[in-house]
Amino acid sequence: MSPASPMPRSSRSRAALVIGVAVLTVAATGCTVANSGRGGYDPNTLRIVLSQEPPTLEPCESSLTSTGIVVRSNITEPLIERDPNSGDLQPLLSTGWRQTSPTEWTFDIRTGVTFSNGAPFTSADAAFAVDRAVNSDLQCNVDGYVFGDEKLKLATPNDTTLTVTTEKPDPILPLRISFVEIVPRSTSTAEKVREPIGTGPYAIEDWDFGQKLTLARNPRYWGTAPAFARAEYQWRSEGSVRAAMITNDETDVATSLGPEDGAGDLGVPFQNNETTALRIQATEAPLNDMRVRQAINYAINRTGIVKALFRGLGDPASQLIPSGVVGYNDQLPLWPHDTDKAKALVAEAKADGVPVDTQIRLIGRTAQFPKIAETIEVIQSELAEIGLNVKIEMMDTASQLQYQLRPFPANAGPYLLMIQHGNQAGDAAFTMDQYMLSDGPQADYGTKQFDDKIRAAEALTGQARQDAFARLFAEEPQEIMQMAYLAHMKGILGKSARVDYTPNSATGDEMRLSEMTTAGSDRTDAQ
Amino acid sequence: MYTSALPLIIVLLGVFLLARLTGDPTSLYLPESATEAQREAFAQKNGFDRPLLTQLGDYFSGVLHLDFGTSLRTGESASEMAFRAFPATLQLAGTTMLLAVVGAVVIGCWAAYRPNSLADRFSSLLSMTGASIPDFWFAITGVWLFAVLLGVLPTSGTDGPLAWILPIATLMIRPLGVLTQVVRGAMVSALSAPYVRLARSKGAGDLRVVTHHALRNAAAPALTVAGDLAVGLINGAVVVEAIFGWPGIGKLMIDAILQRDFAVLQAAVLLTAVSIFVLNIAIDACYALLDARVREPARV
Repeated sequence: MSPASPMPRSSRSRAALVIGVAVLTVAATGCTVANSGRGGYDPNTLRIVLSQEPPTLEPCESSLTSTGIVVRSNITEPLIERDPNSGDLQPLLSTGWRQTSPTEWTFDIRTGVTFSNGAPFTSADAAFAVDRAVNSDLQCNVDGYVFGDEKLKLATPNDTTLTVTTEKPDPILPLRISFVEIVPRSTSTAEKVREPIGTGPYAIEDWDFGQKLTLARNPRYWGTAPAFARAEYQWRSEGSVRAAMITNDETDVATSLGPEDGAGDLGVPFQNNETTALRIQATEAPLNDMRVRQAINYAINRTGIVKALFRGLGDPASQLIPSGVVGYNDQLPLWPHDTDKAKALVAEAKADGVPVDTQIRLIGRTAQFPKIAETIEVIQSELAEIGLNVKIEMMDTASQLQYQLRPFPANAGPYLLMIQHGNQAGDAAFTMDQYMLSDGPQADYGTKQFDDKIRAAEALTGQARQDAFARLFAEEPQEIMQMAYLAHMKGILGKSARVDYTPNSATGDEMRLSEMTTAGSDRTDAQ
Repeated sequence: MYTSALPLIIVLLGVFLLARLTGDPTSLYLPESATEAQREAFAQKNGFDRPLLTQLGDYFSGVLHLDFGTSLRTGESASEMAFRAFPATLQLAGTTMLLAVVGAVVIGCWAAYRPNSLADRFSSLLSMTGASIPDFWFAITGVWLFAVLLGVLPTSGTDGPLAWILPIATLMIRPLGVLTQVVRGAMVSALSAPYVRLARSKGAGDLRVVTHHALRNAAAPALTVAGDLAVGLINGAVVVEAIFGWPGIGKLMIDAILQRDFAVLQAAVLLTAVSIFVLNIAIDACYALLDARVREPARV
């Protein structure tokens, strides 16, 4: 190698140019990321950090947690809302409702309400919004989740009356209607909208995609003005970072925290709607044998999992809905944990020629709930102990959904699927339709007799409805046993001292900003 | 030109086919109880019902017109989403590499100047540690220490200069460690070369020997490694972007993969592939700048 000559003047200029460009590169960034806005503490702004950015704010997609938590009752409102604590339906954009014939319900529309764009709200808007969400080709999530195949006929005799006609008598139509967020007639029916107009206490001020979403108080709101003038949503996928934002006073509310994320005293546990369970693919050997399914239930130590893995943040479950949902059976005992009995059942099945050595896939969704990986490992160990051959498979959401939703993959072999079901509606019919009907979208197995019982229960109202569903939850393990229930989950909401808010069972799906008020400040840097 | 375009075509083809091997996005985007007719309508609307070759042809045709389609997740233009996210990654990657190169040159030269001294051993320990620490652990520990415990830095976000420190430190630690080792090794060789002894015999001072003679000759291997590291950063600092809420291309790509958002994934991959292509040209230009033998063809 020849020696490099001392740098001539031109080279020095070049070097200076390179350094200058480098310095300019850093300076040009201004330490401000492209498209980002400047932050800063504003006492009138409520700061919220979510686990993910809403993909859209389309109101008819508000059954999706990431959308509903922002949209529902904040930007848009339904005709009726469900009290998350009592389960009772409360008037909102509808002041009253009644069943006017077996297949017809009439809703009285609130007067004096305007949308955030200034347009008046009438029954025509209500009819339009329901029709758009339920009858259109938009393939809205709320349509599939709440209404299924049901089509509705809508009529508006005058500006303050809406009638809804169903194909069959529907005793819980008002409950279903409570899932439809009302949008003005100017909303597109050809495609979904990302930034909707609504009648809620807030309206979208700015959505800096990828960065933050800001809502501002709706000056035309018909109700009491919310305490905070603005709400600013950010999102961080890492739970420990969300918890750190709470403890570091960078946010006022942090959602979806786990027990080990480190929110400390600022983490508020609350009962959410979610229940975890193993769905047993009961159409495949050896899982098509009732004794094997019972053995799986005997093998699982629910109480131990809740205590050791969930740190007590949950309750062992004996059914797929938590208390507070119509149909919950408060007399149903936990399926006992009895390893010896489980072993005996497996041995008995094996003696009868059931291929219990067949490999069973134990499928879980990565990060579906805190400690899912450890939970799956514990269950695999418990099932191996009773003589079953179980292999763990963790998948991402899209892959796992192929096993959760019909049509299921062909030739998939026997598998156990970890599911987490949230009954947002507060009525067991939504759970039964999905998981218990033999052709339910998320059910693998059932019988016609049990289907008939479900249909009969769904036609009832009041206490008879409650009793019928409660009876079905007691009978399902005896007749079908498609599930091994695990736990009614609890969530943790991070909440700063300056905000007064009590999370409830709906908080994870619908976080009403108008319920949040200031509670004095512990801040030392308030500007 | 053709040979340069070939890797891009292979990347386009690869991402198109691999994305579709990951599964059907229908279940993610349709209601749980969607009927078969609704599923078919979804597939038809998004072109998933057409033969794979037809889809591929449409995709290449779209690329030629800079039309990558629409995001399934957000309904936005896929190319707009990719172009919006990319500057954030470029800013982060550019600043990180600049600081890593400057730091590595200073520490590497310092260590090489007195090999086996305490300073050399300390810098080796530092750089080996930096090259070995998992970025995820470093990021979370950094948040806990500097944001939660000491309260001197924000946990995450992009607001203000302080928000840059933890992401850059997390991203920089590995390139700094690796580059320091490379610079040190190259400088040790360069400083023992005959031309350096000649320079010293002519009375050149230590600073001049290091900066004007040895460093210039030691720069080529460091440039090669720095180029590789920069490519990794431009690909998207996925962990850093996810933890610190940095709205870059890495996070966008991961989300697109998880959500089976093929159009966005394809747009983001193509954008990064083109950028890496441009970066490689820039590195070649830097070689020419550093070494006259590369700049000027050999004369026989």
